[in-house]
Formats: sequence, structure tokens, C-alpha cells
Amino acid sequence: MTSPSASADTLLGTDNILEVDDLTMYYKTRGGYVKAVEDITFDLGKQTALGLVGESGCGKTSVAMSLMGLLPGNAEINKGSIRLDGDELVGLTREELRERRWRDIAMVFQGAMNAWNPVYTVGDQIREAIRYHWEPAPSVEVANARIAELFELVGLAPAMLERYPHEFSGGMRQRAVIAMALSCDPKLIIADEPTTALDVIVQEQILKELKKIQDDLGMAIIYISHDIAVIAEVTEQIGIMYAGRLVELGPTPEVFADPRHPYGLLLLRSTPSIKGPRRKLAPLVGEPADLVNPPPGCRFHPRCPLAEERCAQETPVMEEVSPGHQVACFYWERTAELDIEGV
Amino acid sequence: MLKFIGRRLLQMAFLFVLFLTILFFLLQAQPGDISSQFVGNPEIPPEAKEILRERLGLNESLWGQYTTFIINFFKLDFGVSFTEYPREVSDILLSRLPRTVVLFLTATLLAYWMGFATGKLVAWRRNTKLEHVVTVTGIFLYTVFYPWFAIMMLWIFAANLGWFPVGKFITPSVWNNAPFEANQVFNRMIVVAVLFALFVGVVWYLTRRIGDLDRRKWLRRGIAAGGLVVVAFYWMGSDMRTYAADIAHHTVLPVVTLALVFFAQITLLTRSSMLETLREDYILTARAKGIPERVVRDRHAARNALLPVTTSFVLALAAVIGGGIVTESIFSWPGIGLALLNAVLVEDIPLAIGGLALIGLLSLVGHLIVDILYTFLDPRIRYS
Repeated sequence: MTSPSASADTLLGTDNILEVDDLTMYYKTRGGYVKAVEDITFDLGKQTALGLVGESGCGKTSVAMSLMGLLPGNAEINKGSIRLDGDELVGLTREELRERRWRDIAMVFQGAMNAWNPVYTVGDQIREAIRYHWEPAPSVEVANARIAELFELVGLAPAMLERYPHEFSGGMRQRAVIAMALSCDPKLIIADEPTTALDVIVQEQILKELKKIQDDLGMAIIYISHDIAVIAEVTEQIGIMYAGRLVELGPTPEVFADPRHPYGLLLLRSTPSIKGPRRKLAPLVGEPADLVNPPPGCRFHPRCPLAEERCAQETPVMEEVSPGHQVACFYWERTAELDIEGV
Repeated sequence: MLKFIGRRLLQMAFLFVLFLTILFFLLQAQPGDISSQFVGNPEIPPEAKEILRERLGLNESLWGQYTTFIINFFKLDFGVSFTEYPREVSDILLSRLPRTVVLFLTATLLAYWMGFATGKLVAWRRNTKLEHVVTVTGIFLYTVFYPWFAIMMLWIFAANLGWFPVGKFITPSVWNNAPFEANQVFNRMIVVAVLFALFVGVVWYLTRRIGDLDRRKWLRRGIAAGGLVVVAFYWMGSDMRTYAADIAHHTVLPVVTLALVFFAQITLLTRSSMLETLREDYILTARAKGIPERVVRDRHAARNALLPVTTSFVLALAAVIGGGIVTESIFSWPGIGLALLNAVLVEDIPLAIGGLALIGLLSLVGHLIVDILYTFLDPRIRYS
């Protein structure tokens, strides 16, 4: 907490747990650089939740992996910074990142089944995280007592901790994953498609559970999902990503009710709403952008019904359209027209 | 579990009788019999051959021979060798069994241990020079024509460099007027080795709960090294030492040759199995947990990569036995393989059946051991 930036932030009274500035990350491949993440900027307040949504391959998970320090060898963060609680994460060595992982940032994975190693008990795998991050490493009994507490918190019987993953149902495994994420009291949890593999009822339960835990324990959460409806209820802010860029960021109710980026609107309209008025589903036409040779200018312009010549030449930057609501589009004022056409 | 083992034992007994039956008729299906040995010898008249056949029971009907054989087999009477008449087959096999078991077991354990460690490392360091060198060497060793390879090993290390004796089990000149029999010394060596292995096993078991992995590793290595020193002192103080050294000297080359080929197979298999497990989601989970990379590699990836490698042991068993016969004949290693080869060539049917039955029994037991081992390795597998 003694770095100059941290003290400056304290002076300014920032309540942010996470500040991501201009984050740009490329994967080097034989076909060229895959521009997976470009110029991502967002802040995350303490005890708040942010949702990142977008199609598959839009860079959501790459952002998560950059935050976790879990990038593969061919990935490089070209520029930008990630400050967690005032500490810069970009440029740390692998070992420094490893020590912080799970202690500062934990992750709830999708794929309830495969997140667990089949040959060890669930308790054993949670104890492993504890053993390497608690100072000093606790005895098995102490660790087990903590895991039992967490199991109760997420609605699992404490006795389950000596069971193997295959003895758990899908929902139970996901609850256990959450318990594991909580085991080292992280400041931030990244939930990457936390409910994708589950049925609708269990999805709902798990999300409510997570919300309640967040309220009780007070960590920040980043939800990553391709389904905007899933995370609308549990987040304060939503960021919409397209082809490696953040195109819209704002308070959840506002973005959900009144998206200003054409892509945001089309993404929302591509899912049916149960409560709202009946309307025709508007499919998003075209293919997701090729990230090795992304379209020049606004990356969405080849698929955008509002695109003009300017969109192919200049890259729009985020501009504030209402307090806390930013959109990267030249013609965001016309987005609403699209909504009527799409009916 | 006990019920499962009981059922498996019953199955094994049935399979074994089937195996014996097939063996018996297959061997009988060869043209001629032991008396054909003397066809070209004019000093042995046809009457003598007839008497030989009569005495060995070869004139009886096939069915009669078969029933006598099976009944006697289960009375643990395996008959008498034709070529070493009247020596009992069981006597011949038992005296040769330790040599074969030592050859197989040492080569197999060595190959598994080294192969698994190498394959694991190579998969972990994918696309490095190390991986390319090991993979190419592995493919060479795995696909090489084994008899040629064995002869090359002999030619290089025994004939040219002279580091090791050219085949056989002992050097006769050393054993002139020796106060011990070779088998006596060899058995002593086996007993010492087994005791040492047990000691190491107990140490491993007792230290398993030490949390500090580095401390545990060095403690184990230290105690094992201490045990080795004790063994070394024991042999230096023993009057068998020259003879034991002579046998050990003869053992090295065949064991290494057999182990190398098998090692290549295990390395390649571990490598591909490990590359597969490295893609699993739980490896990402393990990394995300912020545990040291070494722990991710050994405790998560390699531990799961071990499962298919263990299964391969059953399949490899037959290959090792086949390789063993070739090894024994090329290195003139007086084990069961060599006895079997000679017995088949001269149609010494009781000895051939005895040897093959023993090999069959060993591989059935090997299967059972692997099945039981599997329940310990993979908690998803439960037999009921």
C-alpha cells in the first residue's frame, strides 16, 4: 500500500478494488497476432459486481485470464495496466502472480464437472488452495473446519468434503467450486460462465447464492457470460464486448433497458423476454470478426445496420452518453431507431 | 472388493483350463514328435524310436493323452521333461523361474519408472529440443527390430568395449571350485533386494504425511541412500561377494536392453497421455489456484496420465514376455524363455506346456493385480 499511485488514489478517495486501463493483449500465432483484447478500460468498485457479456470469442475470457495472470506462453500484454487494490499486476513475474492468484483473485469456473480433478476428494482439492495461500499453512483439521463452514455457506453438507467429484451432482459441484473460490478470502472473484452447464432452476439458485455471499462477505465479482439476461439481476454494471473491445459500459438497469451501442441492442434483442412485450427476435447477421485481421475502424461496422463510411475509417472511442454510461459508437444517438425497425 | 477378487479368481481358473487345452492341442498339432529328432540318425533303428514313443506315452490316443495331462496337472504333477529325462518339469522351471522373474521385473520396473518420469517431463516441456530428441529416440527404440538391437548391444558393449560379458549367467572360470551354487547366491541376492524394496516401501508409507514436499523428498532419499550403504556393507562382508558380483555383472546388459525398448514405449505413451490431461479443465483450475507449477505437473497432470499407462501394462505384459524369450536366447540367459524355446524346437511337450502355462499364469495374475491397482488409482472405479 505504499506505492505512489495507491496513496494518490487514497487522496482522491477512490473506492475501486480494480482499475483496468487501456489493457491490450495479443496472442502470437503462426497466422499472425490475434488481437484478443484491445484498449479495455474499466473500474470496479469495492463490493460491486460487473458483468462482461459478448459472443463467444469476443475476448471476455481473455480479459479474465489477463486479470488472473493465467495467460499462456504465447500471450503478451502489450500495454495497459491492471491495478488490484492499488497494486500493479502487469509486469509481475510468474511466481509473484502465482502467489497472488486465489489469495487476491479467485475464479469460479464453468463446466461444473471438469473443474474438479477426478482422482482427489473435493476437500483435498480445496485444502490444496489453502495450503499454498494461508500464512502460515494450517493443519488439515483447521483447513477442514474452514471448508465445512464454507460448505454450509454455499448449501452443502460438510460431510461431503471427503467425497469425490463424481459423487456430486452438477449443481453441488458448482457450489463446491464457489466454496473453493472463497477459501482464501479473495478481494475479487471472477465468475466465468458460472451457470452455463446447469439447468435453469439450479442456475437461478446458484446466482442468488453468489449474490448473497457477496453481500455477506463483501468482495467484488466480475461475471462473464454470453447471456446478458443471466447476469442482469446480480450486477451493478454491465460491459458489452465485441471483437476484443469494450463497446458499451454502464449501470445495469440502464444498459439493459436502453442499450446505446447497436451491437448491445442487437445482442439484447436476440434473446426473448418473458416479461416484456412480445416481439420478433432480431438475429444478429454476419460472422464474428476475425481477430487476426480485424475490420478497420469500428470492428462492428461490417455487421452494423447503422454503419456509414466513417465507421470503416476511424475507431470510435468511449464517450459518456449519460452519467456512468459510456458507448463507443459515432451514431449512438440513432441506435434507438434500430429498436423500432427490429420489431 | 473381496467378492470381486473371488469372482475374478474363478474366472481365471476357467480361463486357465481353456488356455491349457488350447496349448495342448496346438503343440500336438506340430508335425512329428520328439522321436523325429532321430530321423536322420541311422544308428537309431525304427524299433528304438517305437520304444521311445511307447515309454513317453506318445502312442496313446490324443484324447487319452489330454485327459491324463489335465488330471495330472491339477495334481500338480507337470510330468517329466523328454530332453532332460527323467528330470521333473516343475524342477526345471522352478530353478529357472527366479532368473526370468528378475530379468522381467527389473526391466519392467526400471522402464516404467524412467519412462514415466521422462514422458512426463517431455510433455510438460512441449516443443523444446529435449522433447524432439526424446521423441525421436523413443520412436527409434520402439520400432527397432528387437533381435537386431539386442545383438547390436552385445556387439557394442560386450564384444567391442568389453564392459560386460557376452551373454550367459555366470563366468565358469570364476566359479571353479566355488563353495556355492549359482542359484544359492542368486536367491540370496533376490532376498536382499526384496528386503531393501520393502524397507523403501515402509519408509515411503511412513513419510507420506509430511506436508513439506522438499523435506519429504530429501528425507526419503537420505534414508534410501542409507539403506543402500547398509546393503553395500552387507555384500562386502559376505563371502559370496565375488560370485554375487559376477552374476550382477552378467545381469546388467540383458536387463538394460530389454528395459530400453520397453522404456521407449512407456515414454511415448506417457507423453501422449500427459498431453491429453494437460488440456483438461482441472489443470486450469489447479493453475488458477496458484499452486506451484511443479505440483500442477506432478499431482494433477501426471497423476491422471498414469491411468492409461497402467492399463498399458496389461497389454505390454505379452510383449515383455515375447521380448523376454528373444532376450534370453540372444544373451544365452538360462531362464524360462530359453528353456521354452528349446523345448518347442525339439518337441519336448511337457516342458513346453509347463513353460507356457507358467507364462499364462503370470499374465493372468498380472491382469488381476492391475485391476486391483486400478481401484486405488481411480476412485471412479468400484467393483461390486
